[in-house]
Amino acid sequence: MIVELGAFALTLALAFAVAQLGLSIAARVRRSTVLAAAGEGAAVVSFAGVLLAFAALIHAFVTSDFSVANVAANSHTEKPLLYKVAGAWGSHEGSMLLWCLALTGYGAAAATLGRGLPRGLKAVMVATQGGLGVVFLAYTVFASNPLARLLDPPVEGRSLNPLLQDPALAIHPPFLYAGYVGMSVVFSLAVAALIEGRVDAAWARWVRPWALAAWSLLTVGITLGSFWAYYELGWGGWWFWDPVENASFMPWLVATALLHSAIVTEKRGALAGWSLFLALAAFSFSMLGAFLVRSGVLTSVHAFAVDPKRGVLLLIILGLMSGGGFSLFAWRAPRLAPGGVFAPISRESALVLNNILLAAATATVLLGTLYPLIREALSGEAISVGPPYFNMTFVPLMAALGIILPAGPLLAWKRGDLTGVGQRLWLAALIAVGAGVAAYALVSPRKAFASAGLAMGAWLICGAAAELVERTRALKVPAAESWRRLTGLPRGAWGMTLAHLGLGVFILGACYETGWKAEAAEALPIGGSVNVGAYHLVLEGVRDVDGPNYDAEQAVIRATKAGKAVCTGEPERRFYPTGGQTTSEVAICYRGASHLYIVLGERRAGPAGPVWLVRAYWNPWATLLFLGPVIMALGGALSLSDRRLRLGVGRRGAGQTP
Amino acid sequence: MIVFWAVAGILSAAAAIVVMLRAAGAASRPEPVDPTPALYRRQLAEIGDLADRGLIAEAERRGAEAEAGRRLLTAAESPEIVWTAGGDRRGPLAAAAIAAPVLTLALYMTVGAPGLPDMPFAERLQQWTAANPVSLPPQALAAVLTSKIRQRPDDPEGYRFLALVDGAADDAPGAVRALKRAVKLAPERADLWELLGQALIGQAGGEVSEDAKAAFAETLKRDPTSAVARFHLARARIAEGDRAGGIAQWRTLLAELPGDDQRRVGLARAIAEAEGAPLQPSPALSGGQMTAIRGMVAGLAERLKVQPDDPAGWVRLVRAYAVLGEAAERDRALAQARARFAARADILRDLSAAAAAEPMK
Repeated sequence: MIVELGAFALTLALAFAVAQLGLSIAARVRRSTVLAAAGEGAAVVSFAGVLLAFAALIHAFVTSDFSVANVAANSHTEKPLLYKVAGAWGSHEGSMLLWCLALTGYGAAAATLGRGLPRGLKAVMVATQGGLGVVFLAYTVFASNPLARLLDPPVEGRSLNPLLQDPALAIHPPFLYAGYVGMSVVFSLAVAALIEGRVDAAWARWVRPWALAAWSLLTVGITLGSFWAYYELGWGGWWFWDPVENASFMPWLVATALLHSAIVTEKRGALAGWSLFLALAAFSFSMLGAFLVRSGVLTSVHAFAVDPKRGVLLLIILGLMSGGGFSLFAWRAPRLAPGGVFAPISRESALVLNNILLAAATATVLLGTLYPLIREALSGEAISVGPPYFNMTFVPLMAALGIILPAGPLLAWKRGDLTGVGQRLWLAALIAVGAGVAAYALVSPRKAFASAGLAMGAWLICGAAAELVERTRALKVPAAESWRRLTGLPRGAWGMTLAHLGLGVFILGACYETGWKAEAAEALPIGGSVNVGAYHLVLEGVRDVDGPNYDAEQAVIRATKAGKAVCTGEPERRFYPTGGQTTSEVAICYRGASHLYIVLGERRAGPAGPVWLVRAYWNPWATLLFLGPVIMALGGALSLSDRRLRLGVGRRGAGQTP
Repeated sequence: MIVFWAVAGILSAAAAIVVMLRAAGAASRPEPVDPTPALYRRQLAEIGDLADRGLIAEAERRGAEAEAGRRLLTAAESPEIVWTAGGDRRGPLAAAAIAAPVLTLALYMTVGAPGLPDMPFAERLQQWTAANPVSLPPQALAAVLTSKIRQRPDDPEGYRFLALVDGAADDAPGAVRALKRAVKLAPERADLWELLGQALIGQAGGEVSEDAKAAFAETLKRDPTSAVARFHLARARIAEGDRAGGIAQWRTLLAELPGDDQRRVGLARAIAEAEGAPLQPSPALSGGQMTAIRGMVAGLAERLKVQPDDPAGWVRLVRAYAVLGEAAERDRALAQARARFAARADILRDLSAAAAAEPMK
């Protein structure tokens, strides 16, 4: 009965999303607070319905109810409980339900929390959110129902792809989707602003908390996904420019641009049209990601089952929703009032430059992702656009962005003083150049680009510090006064500083890891050894492990450095009999911020007994790669907790000039 | 069924009530004012607050305040569009409160399966445990055995039975897994090592893998006479290039097998094939053997009629008809199975492969 109640609750959610749309439109037309409140109530009901359906699906997974087609296809009785639960969103159908849960959840939150919004803006936003709910719920109910039943349930399920049976991946989709779909509120606010004809400082203020929340969650989601790819796939890398990775990265880039342009709109009333455009684009890119992953146009470790029919439906949804949004933009945006003026050297200009670079970076990623697909569709020729393309296009744009970044927060609004900024940043520049030169001279082998990357990381970190020094007037006023200023800094300012610092930390890690990683692979008998970086690894033994739903060979590999024992890694090679798949469990020895990364490969017959293919990587400073984005997300969360975002007051007063 | 519809009705009613309550709450609240001027007023206050804490210079404060003040003035002066709680709103509200549950019902009747109960695995397992094991498909039998083994995890016999059932269900990896556990519990039993070796060969698609060789070596340590282990180890030797050595071992084995051992025929044939002798046509199956085989296939077909949810059974049936050369039966079984498992690409693939099996000469 629980499964069918879940299916009923899902249709209830769809019906009330229709009611949410209808009531909110009627409310806007009649200017009725009663109908608007009823529409908001329907949004809450819609969310509750999806929540019930989701709970029913999880229940079916936990009890291994194989009469639910989705459970039969993605679960197995021997699977550990965590992965039974995670199986609920490990499939195409289940993940669409998660998408709908996030969508209606944001809709309900916007309906109940958005009390400070003007009635018209709010009613249209709730209606738009309802419209999105109708489309995605209808798709889920009719084309991708996760609670569809089988009259003859199989005895056993076919289990979840073992690669996805991993703690990081169990929580990666909820974060990612919360981020993706959070952009729907931003989209709805943009549509509402276009229909209501008001895009002003107040609108930018209302958009910012939603954009910040979605951006922070997306940052965590992407980082978790990257971390999973790093330690689960066993390829030793953390970003592969895989189309599905790009699909999650594009909305992030656009949301980052939006966070910055919205500040200009909020402070100066300028860039209103551009902020609107980004708000529409952020969710459009989220929907594009949903389409790419599910349509079957991609072959990727992340992609769901190949299913062109559903892909076409999603393409139609994408076309309708973002096409509708951008058409409205083309029609209404020219009528928006122009904002405040500013000089070429000003905070606004720096933020515009930031936006140009981020938009260009998004365009290069989009081109690199879609070009192979379009070309294959037209000529049938499969080509792959790999890291060299992105290194030649994306990286220079990001480098330019990094160079101007520390200057931005130090420039005054309207008209900035470049000399003053130079005076405040000379020390940071000196440290950065020093760090780059030191890396070039001291780290072997010598690498110019990687050293320049380290200089960039140091520049961003020192730039963030310089900004704090400037705000607190440290060394210019008594220490007590600096302390008072420091403690008085609004959380939004701390959030920005943290986010910029996190980017610096990430770049340090990315450049050091990419530049100086070491790699070794050898077929080792028991007692055999291999050297990687400064480490000497000895395969001491291999034992059989009897897992809950897999059999594994577990190697015991002892690592020493200059004769001193450092750690013992126990990488595994697992065999999952249900699907007949084999996976690697990487062993990572943490050495400060660096990783000794060991992968156990297949067993072969050697001249004197079996040998095992052992691959080892020395990944220096790899922890920073994941720590940086976490710091950035924390910065976002801290900004979000700024009471001014709740009360609706200017983000930052410092640096404002007449 | 009644309980289901009662709960569904309560859910729908609760949903409609939430919408109505929210509307009633708005009707009793004072009519809202545009929050924009208040927002700009707070922005002004915040600028003052930052300046008081020394975070903005006095000149900057004046500039920022002037700009925020202008915004406030514009917002305050813009004509406010009045929203009201008045007027007759009962029509659209009542329509929504009735239409939404009706729409829910219509949608659910289209996509749902009303009355279909939950089928949690534990409950189905209980039913299988209570049923006559002969009537169960191999997968269900394997599930029952697995649950029994959980109660007596130290009994190697349980794993041996499970392996045999897994083998019957074409689940070679499952059989290997069960036998690995069995030999761990009773490493002294040569028969278990022998079975493990055979299961490993099944898993490797007929080849004597390194793991299988190791299992047979363990068998011989405990029972040097094991014909199965000796046969496969010799076969591995031949596959690795030592034809003479392998054949010699087979000959020794043949000499040691008792005269009435059924396996002698097959072994002699294997030796002849390995020596490159012209292949003797395999002795035609006797009429009695043929009848027995057809009887087994018919039994399988009957069982699938009663318990059609057995993909492996369907694959076996299609393959059996193909091997027997009964093309019409094969196509009929294939069509039935394809219709039943239309959504499962892996089964469809297995079915096609089975249908393509060469007919027996």
